[in-house]
Amino acid sequence: MTPLTQAFDLGLSRCRTCGLAVARASLGIGGRCPRCQSRIEQRKPFSAEVTLAWLIAGMVLYIPANLLPVMHTSGLLGEADSTILGGILEFWRAGDWDIALLIFIASVAVPFTKFIAIGLLLFTVRKNSRWEQHQRAVLYRIVEFIGYWSMLDVIVVALTSALMQFQVLGAAEPRAGIAFFCAVVVVTMLSALSFDPRSIWDRRP
Amino acid sequence: MNTILICRDCDTVYRAVPLRRGDVALCRRCNAVLARYLGVNVDSALALVCAAAIFFAIANLTPILSIEVAGMQTRANVWFAVRSLQEGWISFAALGLAFTTFLIPAVQIALLFWVLLFARAGHRAPGFGPIMRLLHQMRPWSMTEVFLLGALVAIVKLAKWVPINAGPGIWAIAALTAVLALLGRCDPASWWSIGPEANT
Repeated sequence: MTPLTQAFDLGLSRCRTCGLAVARASLGIGGRCPRCQSRIEQRKPFSAEVTLAWLIAGMVLYIPANLLPVMHTSGLLGEADSTILGGILEFWRAGDWDIALLIFIASVAVPFTKFIAIGLLLFTVRKNSRWEQHQRAVLYRIVEFIGYWSMLDVIVVALTSALMQFQVLGAAEPRAGIAFFCAVVVVTMLSALSFDPRSIWDRRP
Repeated sequence: MNTILICRDCDTVYRAVPLRRGDVALCRRCNAVLARYLGVNVDSALALVCAAAIFFAIANLTPILSIEVAGMQTRANVWFAVRSLQEGWISFAALGLAFTTFLIPAVQIALLFWVLLFARAGHRAPGFGPIMRLLHQMRPWSMTEVFLLGALVAIVKLAKWVPINAGPGIWAIAALTAVLALLGRCDPASWWSIGPEANT
């Protein structure tokens, strides 16, 4: 088997949009892909810094997303504000452990996995570490894949509020927590998209 | 064939080899997918896009869920869900939901239709480059499948309290999810091999 070579060492770059291999020497400054006109970048610019910034923003937004109520319900049984964790507990106590688990995974486990995984990737890349490169490549793809499933709770709250419109008999309205939660999803996805997985393999001197 | 492939995830360089049906080329270093045999040709992709457009229309014109209490009925679909989040600055979430479950899937379907219609005639559609860039950027933000799961959770959640019915929309959303997943398997990068841009 031939040894593996990185495009960087051969003076090649991969177009992020169309995948074309482009010789760097044939590009000017701010060069664009000859095929699709996307800007060609050797690596995502300031990848680690931008990823970290979005990651911190996501972690900060996650606090109000959990502390503030996401939904307000009113009806014959009285009024109540519910938070995400409160909602999960309610399902759990009512014996609906499967729904409780599903919402727990989407709203708690997925965001936490993303915080820890992206944090770990950034830390090891900064250390220029050779530790478990294959596993870290897989970890990045997991983070990419699970990213948007956290939108689940936003959709459930929106559908519940749209359907429960029976005034005194029962009504549901969204509350501020859900907007923070939506922001967490968007911001953590931006964080994952800013990370350059090639930095796991790059050897800096 | 003498094309060079570069791994998306680790920058390793490969010489492309012809793939047979069912083949997937994986990176030897990081195991990322380098290339796939194209099981979906332009004709079947166009058929899938038309199916997606029909399912999208049904999902948005018929109720996905409905509830009847004491003679009053409420119904919900993607657009109703977006509207229910429009309240003061919470509207930020409405915007997020509108983009990910309505606007982006709609634009994806429309742009794919446009590109494939020309591709079928052996041309690149007008605006091919910018359209392909846009399609590439929109891909992570299309969340139809999450909406389907959300609707199912809402059914289970509300069924305890009120009689809730699934409308035709839920089947349309399920079918749309399946069709978009199939379309996601076709590799737009290969469409660059289609002839020059059409002059219109």
